[in-house]
Amino acid sequence: MSSSSTQNIYLPKPATVYKIVDEIAQVKTFYWKFDDPEEQKRFKSSFKSGQICQISFFGIGEMPLSMPPSPTEDEVFFTCRKVGTCSTALHAMKPGDKFNVRGPYGNGFPMEEYYGKNLIFVAGGIGLIPLRSVIISVLANRDKFKKVQIFYGSKDPTSLMYLEDLKKWEKAAGVECHLTVDRGAPGYTGNVGLVGSLFKLPGVKIPVEDTFAFVCGPPIMFRFVIKDLLALGLKEQFIISTMERYMKCAVGKCGHCCLGTAYCCVDGPVFTYEQILRLGEGI
Amino acid sequence: MKARIVDRTDVLKIVDQLRQQGYQVMAPFRGRERDSYYDLVTDENRNRIALHCPNPYYPPKRFAFPHIERTMQATRKDGMWDAQATYDIPKLAVFGARSCDIAGLFHLDRFFLGKEYRDIYYEKHRENLFLVNFACTDPELDISKSCFCVCTDTGPAAKDHFDLQVMDLGAEFMVVAGTPAGEAFFKDPMFRKGTQAHVDKRHAVLNDARTHFKERTSWFSAIVRHISQGKVLEKTWQAVGTRCVECGGCTYVCPACTCFTVSDRTVAPDTVDRFRMWDACSFAGFTRMAGGHNPRKAVHDRRNRRFFRKLSHYFIQRELQMACVGCGRCAEVCHGDIGMPSVVEIIRRATSENA
Repeated sequence: MSSSSTQNIYLPKPATVYKIVDEIAQVKTFYWKFDDPEEQKRFKSSFKSGQICQISFFGIGEMPLSMPPSPTEDEVFFTCRKVGTCSTALHAMKPGDKFNVRGPYGNGFPMEEYYGKNLIFVAGGIGLIPLRSVIISVLANRDKFKKVQIFYGSKDPTSLMYLEDLKKWEKAAGVECHLTVDRGAPGYTGNVGLVGSLFKLPGVKIPVEDTFAFVCGPPIMFRFVIKDLLALGLKEQFIISTMERYMKCAVGKCGHCCLGTAYCCVDGPVFTYEQILRLGEGI
Repeated sequence: MKARIVDRTDVLKIVDQLRQQGYQVMAPFRGRERDSYYDLVTDENRNRIALHCPNPYYPPKRFAFPHIERTMQATRKDGMWDAQATYDIPKLAVFGARSCDIAGLFHLDRFFLGKEYRDIYYEKHRENLFLVNFACTDPELDISKSCFCVCTDTGPAAKDHFDLQVMDLGAEFMVVAGTPAGEAFFKDPMFRKGTQAHVDKRHAVLNDARTHFKERTSWFSAIVRHISQGKVLEKTWQAVGTRCVECGGCTYVCPACTCFTVSDRTVAPDTVDRFRMWDACSFAGFTRMAGGHNPRKAVHDRRNRRFFRKLSHYFIQRELQMACVGCGRCAEVCHGDIGMPSVVEIIRRATSENA
């Protein structure tokens, strides 16, 4: 038991927010970097799509956030909805303000496994946050994958997030991007209906063989989409999602994020639907 | 492992020597009736150390994993929080730790130090902790009605993971060294070599002790199988859940529970202390997320969690032992009588009825 080489895994490092972008109501994107350039370099070179970070506000607390940027991008940022005390503190920040971060943690998406496959992304609401990272990574290496389809649904036209990205994906070659909203609004001309209804649109053909489906969104949407995908003939082990749980440590010690036999923070947050079923505590 | 013999009147000299070596020695003392507790040994109370006594409810786990511990202090300067780790690591010795608690600490070692991430606070506490195990041999005092270490194979005498082990053989005590640090004590002439008679006596004492356990049969292996295979019906868990009053007592007295929560406290302007403290999976807030969504809303989902975590095959494989060491504390403190032995029995009955 030599402590000489043991790092203190709980100590967060100072970071600065330099740009804040309003996404939708109560959701903002915060661009940030570590104050220590070495730390920033270490972080950039180690982080993978699908991983999470722990964000600290001393005096308030610590919270886990998923990482929407892709390792192929230069900038690092969080997108977060204002819900609890920590996210309220995050939302109160202005460019130049400082906070503390540690990470990245979690398994991330095993990107190599998806090479040569068809990929379907199904996101609901802010469920697009963790999936954005994979989508950007996939598009940066587009030739490594077969068909790429994105299905994104939100409750109304003003709740569609990452609009810039969505516009790019809609135009990008080799990507099908379908958007929908639960309720239309005056002036909105796109699809109306739940995200699952997009699968039945004329012209949409979902391949069943050699296909991975990524599903992220609120629990209710998740359950319906899974049903639709299984009905199409996809297998449980090829449906992938990220699980969100209350977390205190993010290194498999505090016990809060335990899902059946897995710790969401170290064994997840990326799980296949087959694993989620086996863990038994699901969604 | 080396063993030596020491006179009954000399056994507390181990405590004196530990204190001379700079250890703060924690040892069990008796209160009224069943009460017993660990306290710091001083010149004044040294002669009142209870060698044989009911195992204190508040486990010695806290000497390696404190109930509440400051992990860092952050100070704000020019809008930036600078966090420095704080280590409050006394040089501690536990004299009289029961075998179940020794097994519990070993479980914590595997959990906090045996994975990809090592917990530096636990590691530092553990490096500074000297463990003297006391074998439970007195049928009246040591072995309570709820003790079941004979079922978990963690007692009545620990096989390993202590620095020294003391066992009452009557007029004399047998002292076993588990580590070089423990063996160093044998330089003192008060320790003398034993004979075959001492070894025979040890076996006889232990064999006799084993016959005094009230809980001598437990169907752990069957329950591990039922839980791992998901054979336990929802209604069985519900039956267990309805008896839970969500006090968290079982967790706080458990020598093998590891969960903690983290909380910040502003102690001065621009100064924040971050603490970690024990948490319990029976609390509704344990899994409740910021938006209010709680994946374990029902009480029985949370109760089920405790037993799944302790008895599922997967975790046993991961930690190479069950996260239950048979101390019986949960059985004694539980208001709803759903301590470990009861739940094992409830599951066994329910599952054999369905079989």
